[in-house]
Amino acid sequence: MALRVNPDLIDELELFGAKDVAKCYQCGNCSAACSHSDDPYVFPRKSMRYLQMGLEKPLRSALDPWLCYYCGKCSDQCPRGAEPGETMMGVRRWLTAQYDFTGLSRMLYRSWSSELTAVLGVALLTGAGFSIFGFFFGGGNLSVYDGPGAFLPAHAIHVFDWTMGAILGLLLLINCLRMWHFTMRNEHSVPVPASMYLHFLPLLPLHFFTQKRFRHCENKTPWANHLALVLSYLTMLVLIMVFLKYMQAGPQINWYVHVFGYLSAVGLVATSIFAIRGRLKRDAAYHRHSHESDWMFLGLLLFVTVTGILQHILHRAGLPMAANIIYIVHLMGVVPMLGLEVPFSKWSHLAYRPLAIYFSQLQQAAQAEKTTNLVTLQPRA
Amino acid sequence: MAEERIGVYVCNCGTNIGKIVDVAAVAASALKIPGVAIARSYKYMCSNPGQEMILQDIQENALTRVVVASCSPRMHEATFRGAIKRAGLNPYMLEMANIREQCSWIHDDTAAATEKARALVHAAVQRVKFNESLESRSAPMCASTVVLGGGVTGLTAALELADAGQQVYLVEKQDHLGGNVARLDLTAPYLDSAQNLLRAWISRVERHPNIRLFLNSELTELKGFNGNFKPRLRTEDGESLELDAGSVLVCTGYKEFDASRIEQYGYGRLPDVITSFELEAMLRTGKLQTKSGKLPRYVSIIHCVGSRSKQFHGYCSRVCCTAGLKYAFEIKSALPNTRVANLYTDIESFGKGCEDFYRKCSEAKTSFVMFAKGELPSIREAAPEDGCGMLITLKEQLSAEEIEMPADLVVLMVSMEPREDAAEVAHLVNISCDKDGWFIESHPKLDPVATTTDGVYIAGACQFPRDIPESITQGRAAVARILGKVAQGKIAVDAVYSEVQDKLCAGCRACNSLCPYGAIEFNSEKHVSHIISAVCKACGCCAAACPAGAIKVRHFTDEQIYAQIEGVL
Repeated sequence: MALRVNPDLIDELELFGAKDVAKCYQCGNCSAACSHSDDPYVFPRKSMRYLQMGLEKPLRSALDPWLCYYCGKCSDQCPRGAEPGETMMGVRRWLTAQYDFTGLSRMLYRSWSSELTAVLGVALLTGAGFSIFGFFFGGGNLSVYDGPGAFLPAHAIHVFDWTMGAILGLLLLINCLRMWHFTMRNEHSVPVPASMYLHFLPLLPLHFFTQKRFRHCENKTPWANHLALVLSYLTMLVLIMVFLKYMQAGPQINWYVHVFGYLSAVGLVATSIFAIRGRLKRDAAYHRHSHESDWMFLGLLLFVTVTGILQHILHRAGLPMAANIIYIVHLMGVVPMLGLEVPFSKWSHLAYRPLAIYFSQLQQAAQAEKTTNLVTLQPRA
Repeated sequence: MAEERIGVYVCNCGTNIGKIVDVAAVAASALKIPGVAIARSYKYMCSNPGQEMILQDIQENALTRVVVASCSPRMHEATFRGAIKRAGLNPYMLEMANIREQCSWIHDDTAAATEKARALVHAAVQRVKFNESLESRSAPMCASTVVLGGGVTGLTAALELADAGQQVYLVEKQDHLGGNVARLDLTAPYLDSAQNLLRAWISRVERHPNIRLFLNSELTELKGFNGNFKPRLRTEDGESLELDAGSVLVCTGYKEFDASRIEQYGYGRLPDVITSFELEAMLRTGKLQTKSGKLPRYVSIIHCVGSRSKQFHGYCSRVCCTAGLKYAFEIKSALPNTRVANLYTDIESFGKGCEDFYRKCSEAKTSFVMFAKGELPSIREAAPEDGCGMLITLKEQLSAEEIEMPADLVVLMVSMEPREDAAEVAHLVNISCDKDGWFIESHPKLDPVATTTDGVYIAGACQFPRDIPESITQGRAAVARILGKVAQGKIAVDAVYSEVQDKLCAGCRACNSLCPYGAIEFNSEKHVSHIISAVCKACGCCAAACPAGAIKVRHFTDEQIYAQIEGVL
């Protein structure tokens, strides 16, 4: 059955940041330059072709875009300036929107104004909500920052963040299931037995925590940055989700918790400034193009980190009221950042990328078993 | 013959000959042949010192004949003929032994190769003894030219000749000038108007005092030979008119492939499948729309329609890649919301400025869809719910997917092919057609506008698909050749040609139709065949066929050839 092409796909993707794909004449230099591109996941060439041709269905079921880390070597090698790296990035944004069942992602990616409105709206709601909560249900006194009677007590925040975590997790899970459906349940995919799913499962945490595939890119700097960001972020997440009480306690410094906070704060500030600076200077292929969502992501990350640090300092400086105000401002960054970005935007790749590695290896193993009837491929780190 | 003093010169040709053939031994053995006065070997015989050596030997040693054992005579016979002529010998007193192409290049056994070279030199020495002094002659050269075809090539050539002060008879079969270019809108890649390009030339041609224009006319007969043709025309009024012309320039152009021959493209059956020329007409009138009057949302341009296929034409039509890109660009400019796709097997926009044009088209989001040779797309009418007029299905090569593309308008880039009257014209002017029907040039690289018939030239798209600049270049190249002959005022006639010995000729006319150059005419008065020496190329067909042995080929006489055969044995 012939696949109907969608000639308008190329325009749709342009809104997601894939602006130069029309210049590609399929020489394949990009795939030759890429250290990850390997049969059957030959990228960026194949994805670029699907996009050029308007082959929406194969593009939606492709895992390839997630196997790319955008080191930018392909873009540097491209003789036509077709920016294959950025095209893959654009396809990842589009895929995020395709996986998202709410349709919100597509709206946010396609329009800068709606993204801005959404972020500001959620921020204002958050600010208002926590102010009301603080005054009427929390401690009620803006000059108490920690301990009993705190304006925003840790246990209450925990209820909020675990609830929010559960909701976001659920949304992301649904989107992940849709990803699985598109990529693992199409006419070209091989059925994978449940036991194989289980056998390969360790790949997920492995790649989630180590980002080790990224290290195979020829340029190691982006990997190091990315790993520092991931680990800093995860550390901070654990500190907030589990140890908020100790983090908020003061004004003394609880070194056994705070040292981790300091380390991750340094990591977050350094990596986000590094990325912002790179994007401003356009110092490398992977920084040459910035979609609005990239700026939003980095801006929020830096904002959240700086306001977090600031409230910590203000608290220690004996200014609990200022610390509380900054706390609310901080939450006005955190909630839109996580609420909008994790299930609907750039943050979602924390789930999609390890899943893609997992799925791609499952597919290859299932294919090998199907063709030879003997060999079962082992998970490859 | 005893007093003949022959000089033998054996060439090393650098190492080309010397590394296989023992050149010194060949020279030494040549010296033993009776009649050989001197035999030498040298590094490069064709070099100035080499020629000088021969020249000096002739003068100092009173040599009467010369043998040069070196490369093929096609390479350097003229060089050495010139050398001995400078020394005062008749140039035909030279014989060459080809010990490079026919010996050193094809053998690797030194002893055997040397032996063969020795035999070839021996044969040449035996033959040269029988060589006769021959003199070249000349015939008058008529300065006027008949130009067949009033397309862009013919117009260029006619104007160039006329501006140079020569009389031109421009013969056009149609009722207007301009040929296929007159059917175009804009030309690639600079988008100049084809009409503007032609208009100035046409009006100049129509008014030029040196050009006599024959519209609705054609050549019916061409008698005579180089410099002295008698072309006969059938003019507009049905009259038969004989002219005098020294040269004939054929620029009869091409016609387009009949697209309905490819069944699955549906040309003729689906109203919105059109040819490139039909699109040109649409662009010219500014009515870019489907048959039902709608603006097309999807346009597909299919390349290589009839070209590069086993079934139709194996060759590439060369202009259509760029023309297809031009359409994509023009359609995109006129209708920015229209999706344009180029469906191709290979695409190459080779001309000056054309690669930039290709880039421009791809940047304008023209999509490039690749199908396999022999797996042509097929086009069918779409259903109402498809949202387009037609659907094209094909196996897309670069994504390896079976795809279905929407289309409202399909443009077929029809190939160029020889005109249906090409064979007839070729016969009239005595030139040949290749397997595809294009006129054959004298040499594809070294002599691209001359033909095997002296005085008949071919230029433009009658000899192969050519673009406008190439056609014009060729037209001007042919003019340069013609004016060169006109400037000489005479036609040099080679001394080597066949002759009929009237006394022996029985008038059987066996030779008349055999001659590939049309050089033999029959003198019915004397009842003998006669060879026009200016036309004869001394191929020897007639001599071989003559049952009475009445035909003698100068410089290839029986005794010369027998001597050579005996010499080699």
